Amino acid sequence: MSHSISRLVFFLTSCFFALFFVWPIAETLCGAFVGSDGQFTTDYIVEVFRNPLYVEGLWNSLQMGIWSTLLSGLIAIPLAWMSDRFLFPGKSLLGALVLVPMIMPPFVGAIGIKQILGQQGALNALLLDMGLGNAAHPIDWLGEGRMWGVIVLNALHLYPILYLNVLAALANVDPAMEEAAENLGCKGLRKFRLITLPLIMPGIFAGGTIVFIWSFTELGVPLMFDFTRVTSVQIFYGIKDIGGNPFPFALVVVLLGATVLLYAASKIFFGRDTHAMMAKATSQGGPRDSGLLVGLLCSAVFSLVTFVAILPHIGVILVSISTDWYQTIFPSGWTLSHFESALGHNLTLPSIQNSLKYAGLATVLDLILGVAIAYVVVRTRLAGRQILDAMAMLPLAVPGLVLAFGYLAMTQEGKFFSFLNPSIDPFAILVIAYAVRRLPYVVRSAAAGFQQTSVTLEEAAQNLGCPPLRTLRKITIPLIAANLLAGGLLAFSFAMLEVSDSLILAQKQQDFPITKAIYELYQLLGEGRFVASALGVWAMVFLAITILGASLILGKKLGAIFRA
Amino acid sequence: MIAITIENLVKKFGEAVALNGISLRIEPGELFFLLGPSGCGKTTLLRNIAGFYIPDEGRILFGDEDVTRLPPHKRNTGMMFQSYALWPHMTVAKNVAFGLEERRIASVEIRQRVEAALESVQMQQFADRKIAQLSGGQQQRVALARALVIRPRCVLLDEPLSNLDARLRLEMRSEIRRVCKENGLTAIYVTHDQKEALSISDRMAVLENGRIAQIGTPEQVYRRPRTRVVADFIGETNFLKGKIQSLEGAKALVETAEGPFEGFLGDPDWKPSLNDEVLVSVRPESWLLRNDSASVNVVKGRIGESIYLGEVAQYRLQTNHTDLKIFELNPHIFSRSRDREIFAVASADDVVLLQP
Repeated sequence: MSHSISRLVFFLTSCFFALFFVWPIAETLCGAFVGSDGQFTTDYIVEVFRNPLYVEGLWNSLQMGIWSTLLSGLIAIPLAWMSDRFLFPGKSLLGALVLVPMIMPPFVGAIGIKQILGQQGALNALLLDMGLGNAAHPIDWLGEGRMWGVIVLNALHLYPILYLNVLAALANVDPAMEEAAENLGCKGLRKFRLITLPLIMPGIFAGGTIVFIWSFTELGVPLMFDFTRVTSVQIFYGIKDIGGNPFPFALVVVLLGATVLLYAASKIFFGRDTHAMMAKATSQGGPRDSGLLVGLLCSAVFSLVTFVAILPHIGVILVSISTDWYQTIFPSGWTLSHFESALGHNLTLPSIQNSLKYAGLATVLDLILGVAIAYVVVRTRLAGRQILDAMAMLPLAVPGLVLAFGYLAMTQEGKFFSFLNPSIDPFAILVIAYAVRRLPYVVRSAAAGFQQTSVTLEEAAQNLGCPPLRTLRKITIPLIAANLLAGGLLAFSFAMLEVSDSLILAQKQQDFPITKAIYELYQLLGEGRFVASALGVWAMVFLAITILGASLILGKKLGAIFRA
Repeated sequence: MIAITIENLVKKFGEAVALNGISLRIEPGELFFLLGPSGCGKTTLLRNIAGFYIPDEGRILFGDEDVTRLPPHKRNTGMMFQSYALWPHMTVAKNVAFGLEERRIASVEIRQRVEAALESVQMQQFADRKIAQLSGGQQQRVALARALVIRPRCVLLDEPLSNLDARLRLEMRSEIRRVCKENGLTAIYVTHDQKEALSISDRMAVLENGRIAQIGTPEQVYRRPRTRVVADFIGETNFLKGKIQSLEGAKALVETAEGPFEGFLGDPDWKPSLNDEVLVSVRPESWLLRNDSASVNVVKGRIGESIYLGEVAQYRLQTNHTDLKIFELNPHIFSRSRDREIFAVASADDVVLLQP
């Protein structure tokens, strides 16, 4: 592409980031640090740490983040290790299925898990059936304040992120490193602890950071659990008086500060890949066949993890087809009427339409921006392109809640962006919000595509008379189509089931996307949870069709999509 | 058919100077080679001509048209890439048709020309194959057809044969010459393989550190190298150090440790004076092995390591001071050569005197 076009692309993408990434954060910072008199103040931040309610919320958020991350690691690291080392029956299918929970909305799963683990739920009923437990004092598996329910759901939702990171890190370890250890007499777990673990630490930390940031600021799951004493929910409830109350701003800034610190720390300590492999792998590593017993064990572990991870969603499906489900192992009656009433409800159909519209446009925007940014970063030598690259990755480090709050703050009455105010029409701001949050996936997959595609293929087209932009369309884009499809699909799926932006920014019923509709339906008394579950099932069906369709088009296995 | 004129071309990458004032003229219909060791700037020069690099100084003319700043897609050159750069998402026919489609040529004509182009490289039966289904040699033919089907103003070939095995390379290099000559194309061919250059080029330029060391026909460059690098790079040679004893035009008498040598200055612009240091270059095949000595251009030694190759034998002749490489065509002294004292004599015509 000619120099001037590259510059223009660089300029436009930078502008987009300045307006819709930097600006909302700056607006939030202003709200937290500027007093009513217009002077700089730290009073609000200090007050956050004095108010016992806020401190408890932060403490709970921190615990939620830490425990969710540890639990994810406990699931993901052994799985990745098995997948790296062993061949086992059904490996490719199981390896793909184990990723499925990533795109299942945990927030919907909350309905299911409450049904299973709640005091009057299926597990207790099962225990009573077997003569265990006490009917008068059923065990509360979700824990005091339902914190453990939130943690388990987060972990079951987020472990695939860690799994993929660890798997990639393990694949990078030169087998000779471990062979050298064995040669010197170090074996088994000790070898893993002393050699392998330090080598894959950057991968673990990279994935762990994302999982922590995600669970630390999770909004949807605690809301569904009525677990209100966490910062994210406190912010959500504080939004109603965003005009006059500085404390939501201060809380958001505290969350942001914590995540940015963590992200920076992970970049400083592990960013420069301290354990760069000195030499190319000399021996063939790769998984090996270790006999039927080990193989079956691995298959069993993978199946079990997948089953447990989608159990909440199985719960949701059961709720959606049950007449009632109270103190029994399985629902006491079956019906399909909830699907009808879900579709008949005046919230439902518009919300599906809205979600398709928002997520679809956001994906298109992501693809355009992603290709442009990846092109500038990989194909040009413009000064500052690394900054653009780093910026495109930052939405991973900034919690969705923070950005959503920032968007709301910057579109308030009297602000520059008040014409985008979501209480009038959230369309534009929701599309932008969805797009910014998912941009990193698209940039990454497009950049990988550009790197894998030789420049000479583009030069050959130009040599034959094809102008640069047309070359991009006729040669480059088709060649990286699989990457773009994978990235776009991921962006679309996540956007369809986006929670924090949707809950915060969609304020009028006719503008609700699916997630907010589910939340609102769930609040309804009586049939609420059944209808909400039915809508949740519709959403899952949508998602499954999208991904299945794409994997058919791609002609690859499901897992390949998520490894992009 | 157009001439290509390059005037004083300079290209820098940061501090590094890749091309340092290159000027040359390539005649219409000529098959011109750019040759040199890796890093000499030959590929950089070709990419400047194709338009992928814009030079920092100087001009490039196609005929009378200044194309120095013209973007690549407007230059109408047909380039063949080292990696072929065939698009894996298109069939063979689609690849070849691409340039014609870009030129908005009627589809009937496209079909005819693609067919003809594939036929001329004997690939017509593969038109509907995907690129991945072709062997290296077949890909090379498709790349050639793709570059030629647009009837370019000139053909640019960037080490087109380097990915082929030795036998195919021999076959394809005469194929390339045939196609270029049949179509009357001005062609610039980059290679580091001197055999390719010597065998099919009309003229060649040897590059050295971003400058042109020598331009000439294969015979001129081989027989009268102007610099030490050219003599060393094109073919093999033996160097002997000496001092000039007498000068007579381009002819000079040189005293070396092996004795007196008579030969011709390689660089006609070099004006040495008496007693100047000089490098005597004699190619291995220029020596004649004899039992008796001569007055000039002779070395005495023993034959050491020797390799018999049938039509030729390669010897190392160990003298008191150095050791020389000597080829004997139609070898007949091989079996009795070992450890014998022997004389090697060269004709003055085969002795080139170079600046050290």
